[in-house]
Amino acid sequence: MEIKSREEGNVVVFALSGRLDLASGATLKENLKKYFEKNATSIHLNLTEVEFINSSGLGALVSIMKEIRLRKGRLTLSNLASYVQEIFEITQLSHIFEIYVTEEEALGSFQTVAAK
Amino acid sequence: MTTYHFTYRSVPESPDLMLDDLITVLREHEVQEALFNRICVAVSEAFTNAMVHGNRRDSGKIINVELEVNKSSVVADITDEGTGGIERIKTRRPANTMSEGGRGIDLIQHYASKVSFDNTNSGGLKVSISFDRNRENIVCNS
Repeated sequence: MEIKSREEGNVVVFALSGRLDLASGATLKENLKKYFEKNATSIHLNLTEVEFINSSGLGALVSIMKEIRLRKGRLTLSNLASYVQEIFEITQLSHIFEIYVTEEEALGSFQTVAAK
Repeated sequence: MTTYHFTYRSVPESPDLMLDDLITVLREHEVQEALFNRICVAVSEAFTNAMVHGNRRDSGKIINVELEVNKSSVVADITDEGTGGIERIKTRRPANTMSEGGRGIDLIQHYASKVSFDNTNSGGLKVSISFDRNRENIVCNS
């Protein structure tokens, strides 16, 4: 899996590509840990280029979300391929993750929350 | 019917290698896109369970994957060399929404037309997953 990151204001945006499974899920968690240590709590994951995900990859995302919630932060996801969206729905994770159609919408939601 | 037999060690690189092999076979048989991803997810789940829970990541233990493909179905048999076999399935705890694990079997059962779990003679687990290429009825036998 390839992980690219950039900062958009207070939000750290990760663009993921490739397979999100047991091994790459652990890599992703390690990668985000560096940002948690810098007190980053607004995280967005763009999944456009994720070509495969299984329950191990989902488990990594749940772990990341729990870590962010502990830090009173927010995690958003966007650009899920239809079959990735289907897996989120089957596992009912679509109810606990903040999922946006586009990255722009997700980043806009951070601004809206900050403005309140 | 065409049968393929693959053997993998229980090492971190194997899930990727298995997925590469599976994709090659599915493409060779022009499996339709809607079913393609479902097969990949279900077989991947069984493979990860075999490596992590069956063989307990023991690199000396192997995982066998047998694929049978014809015009009407795809059948994948995933066999580990662990212990406990079917007891592991019967005693598994269902995942709650915030669990980090425990969703694999549910995904297999959701995507497959038929699933069966059997003990091997050596105490390991054989998971047999069938996919109907013509219809998407889901029946689970465990």
